[in-house]
Amino acid sequence: MQEKDILQEEIKEVEKLLSVNKLTKENATFSETKGGFITLLLNGEEKGQVNVICTFPFTAPNEFLSVRTADDKAEEIGIIEDLLAFDEQTVAIINKQLEMRYFMPEILKVYSVKEEYGHTYWSVLTNKGKHKFTSPSGSSGSVIRTENRVIIKDSDQNRYEIKDVTKLTPKEMKKLDLYL
Amino acid sequence: MSEKRPLSEMPESLKQLVDTKKLLGSKLLVFAEADMNTNCEFCRFVLLLTKTALIVGTNNKLGFADPNKKETDFSEFSFTSYSIKDLNNPKITTFVVGGMLSAEIDGEQTPICAFTNAYKGRVMRVCEILNALIKNEEIKEERLFEEKHDEFCHKCGMPYPEKNRKICPKCMDKRKIFFRLASCFKPFKIELAVICVICILSALVNSVWPILNGSLLYDTVLAKNKANSVFEALPFEDFAVFLLILVLMMVGVKILQQLFGIIQGVLVAKIVPKVVADLKNKVFASIQHLSVSFFTGKETGGLMSRITSDAANVTNIFIDGLPFILPNLFTIIFSCVVMFSTSPLLAAVAIATLPPAIIISIKLEPVLWHYNSRRFQTARDFRAKLNDNLTGARVVRAFGREESERVRLQKVNGNVAAAQSDAMNFDVKYTALYHIAQSLSSVLTFTVGAAFVLAVFKPQMTYGTLMTFTGYVSLLSGPANFFSFIFRWWSDSMNSAQRIFEILDAKPEVTEDPNAEPKTEIKGDITLKDVTFGYEENREVLKNVSLSVNAGEMLGIVGKSGAGKTTLVNLITRLYDVNEGEILIDGVNVRDMRFCDLRKNIALVSQETYIFKGTIFENIAYANPSADRKAVIDAAIAASAHDFICKLPDGYDTQVGSGGRGLSGGERQRISIARAILADPKILILDEATAAVDTETEKNIQASLKKLVKNRTTLSIAHRLSTLRDADKLVVIDGGKIVEEGTHKQLMLQKGEYFKLFQIQSKALAMRGIGD
Repeated sequence: MQEKDILQEEIKEVEKLLSVNKLTKENATFSETKGGFITLLLNGEEKGQVNVICTFPFTAPNEFLSVRTADDKAEEIGIIEDLLAFDEQTVAIINKQLEMRYFMPEILKVYSVKEEYGHTYWSVLTNKGKHKFTSPSGSSGSVIRTENRVIIKDSDQNRYEIKDVTKLTPKEMKKLDLYL
Repeated sequence: MSEKRPLSEMPESLKQLVDTKKLLGSKLLVFAEADMNTNCEFCRFVLLLTKTALIVGTNNKLGFADPNKKETDFSEFSFTSYSIKDLNNPKITTFVVGGMLSAEIDGEQTPICAFTNAYKGRVMRVCEILNALIKNEEIKEERLFEEKHDEFCHKCGMPYPEKNRKICPKCMDKRKIFFRLASCFKPFKIELAVICVICILSALVNSVWPILNGSLLYDTVLAKNKANSVFEALPFEDFAVFLLILVLMMVGVKILQQLFGIIQGVLVAKIVPKVVADLKNKVFASIQHLSVSFFTGKETGGLMSRITSDAANVTNIFIDGLPFILPNLFTIIFSCVVMFSTSPLLAAVAIATLPPAIIISIKLEPVLWHYNSRRFQTARDFRAKLNDNLTGARVVRAFGREESERVRLQKVNGNVAAAQSDAMNFDVKYTALYHIAQSLSSVLTFTVGAAFVLAVFKPQMTYGTLMTFTGYVSLLSGPANFFSFIFRWWSDSMNSAQRIFEILDAKPEVTEDPNAEPKTEIKGDITLKDVTFGYEENREVLKNVSLSVNAGEMLGIVGKSGAGKTTLVNLITRLYDVNEGEILIDGVNVRDMRFCDLRKNIALVSQETYIFKGTIFENIAYANPSADRKAVIDAAIAASAHDFICKLPDGYDTQVGSGGRGLSGGERQRISIARAILADPKILILDEATAAVDTETEKNIQASLKKLVKNRTTLSIAHRLSTLRDADKLVVIDGGKIVEEGTHKQLMLQKGEYFKLFQIQSKALAMRGIGD
């Protein structure tokens, strides 16, 4: 009797694990708490605080967002296939959290890039102010380039983004050329 | 032992401020800095946690901290104090980079500050201790300390390039490293001295050449005028004889030059390979003493692969660099003296025109190196891609991806070609530019010199003197070039040397107590008391685990993957040391036991079997190299390995390991069991010993294990619970804690986690038709 129950329970759990819950503007309402966290109301059921995670942070930051519980287990509640299908306010709330989660200062100007002893020393202007950082050079992981977008990871794994390298001045390009 | 510092340590200026403002009501427990506000904008924050309050200070100034400033100016900070009583549920929300600290204030989860990775560790400690304070937990003194970590160089304020390597390449004491390195060459003192002498001699000989080839040839021999020359004292008058003497001198100089070259080459060939090999040996020897954690550290992995090139790099400067400093300096001085004494004006012209070439060399050489390193990088990528494709050949074919693989490789290959042509293009341009600058200098000197010869300027100069002069000018370019890159070369070599010394100096994290009592015979009682452990700071894998196993008993350890089972075993074998609590064997703390006693009495069979390069005999005898053939065969029979070994054409002499005969998973497993049997340990650890083999083999192995566990304390980790049925005791670990404990029967009656796992497994096995 009890054996059966356990097995049934297990099967249910597996089924739950394998099913994908689609979150749409019809079934899901996101709202912001005073503290700036996101809560979710799904099919009329209060899900409490949730975290939103990009499944394709580089190639499709607005698609297939995974919504998870904010506790240690971080269980998936559902997936938003297209964020832009939601109303403006929801998009704004979620984007705000995504910006925090995928925090990445944008490099606007490159003052100097210098390589010494296997490490690259950067001095840049970002949208968050002037900054200097060090990235390990040579290791393919520290610079990710997709078309014209460049993401640089420093020794602390902090990330910096150059949205469009072609928009840099030729002088800056020349400085960067060897490092990208 | 690594250095620890209290979490309450804070900058002096802040301390003064805190004292004058009387911000703290009670003793400071943790101090932390953070660098972002709750909108994730850069902003300086300080967190001060005491027993009664969390005090948050910020200057509300947006922007990165000035990286050149070593210390933040705290005078503009404003502080907010939260009473611990008013705070609930402190939490770190982790982001991809860094995270945010928040807590429930007035029933609302409220963000306090955010941080990037650089400040993550400390803020997490604030959260952890705050949590404990709210829960009224007792806070042990040792929790208020951390390993010393500094992010910035104390001298120049730049961040350390590698976090775990507190070395600022700019500020390291290169001289100290140099002298230490020089000691490697001690056995070759005489040879090195000879090399130096040879270098000076050859510089001398080189410096004579422009005289022979210039003034002596043109002004004395060809002009048939022996006045004011070395020939003046000779009794002959026949210039044909002088010519002969001159030619002989020239030939002599050339022969000497080659001779010096040969002697130097022979000596270098004698020294370099020995020193490089010696360095590598030393590095390898010290690696053997390091703890397991050293090998799992990511940075050290990269460090290792560089060791080989580092050793060569370091030696090169001693051979190709340093011995040439003196001769080059000598050449410069000698040339200058000759030039200035011949014609100060022309010498000034020659020296004045040298800098362009030197500047080009200093400026462009690093760029050239860069192009070259990119060339190597792309070549490495290409090799990696190729390796990927060839090793995955079966998968490529199975999915019919040959065409796309070809395209992918083509792309990488294109990068190699592009990098190569870039490097070559630059090299050509650089070389041309350098030579133009150099030629310009010579042409200019020659032109002005010709004006002297033609007596446009006074005093008149002979043609031969001009030839000697230009000879010296071109002689100068070598040393000038040498000095333009020797400094960079020196820095790079010292950095390489530093990396080598880091390994030589690395202290093992797990160390043997020098006063440990020898204890060759052990019974095998194991006791764990409140053991807490984490591989990384702030991430506990085991929490307050206590258990005991009597000698000769078998303990089964059950749990999901990642629950901490293998970690438990790692601690008992002392591959790592516990953070808190203690592990006792026969009532003695493992920290107070000698490594040799511990290792001799514990054997491990894990799912990760390792077969060393060598024969099967050697592999089994690895645990006990003095074992004879009979003992090895007995062990192999006990491990059900004898049969398959006999069927191999070369039997126990079969070469296995890399490059040798391939063995199946089950075969490897049985060899490692034979190894453990031969070791005859008092404590046997089986970590998923049969996880990777088929059912038939498993049955055989289980049978051999049954023989093996007799009269020993056995710890057995297994996913397949049926294999643990015979265990005297079972523990179920979940989330780093022991959640259930008892015999199979007791646990089945308890109907808890174990019961559930067992039911699922036996059902699942029954469905697959392999139930027991």
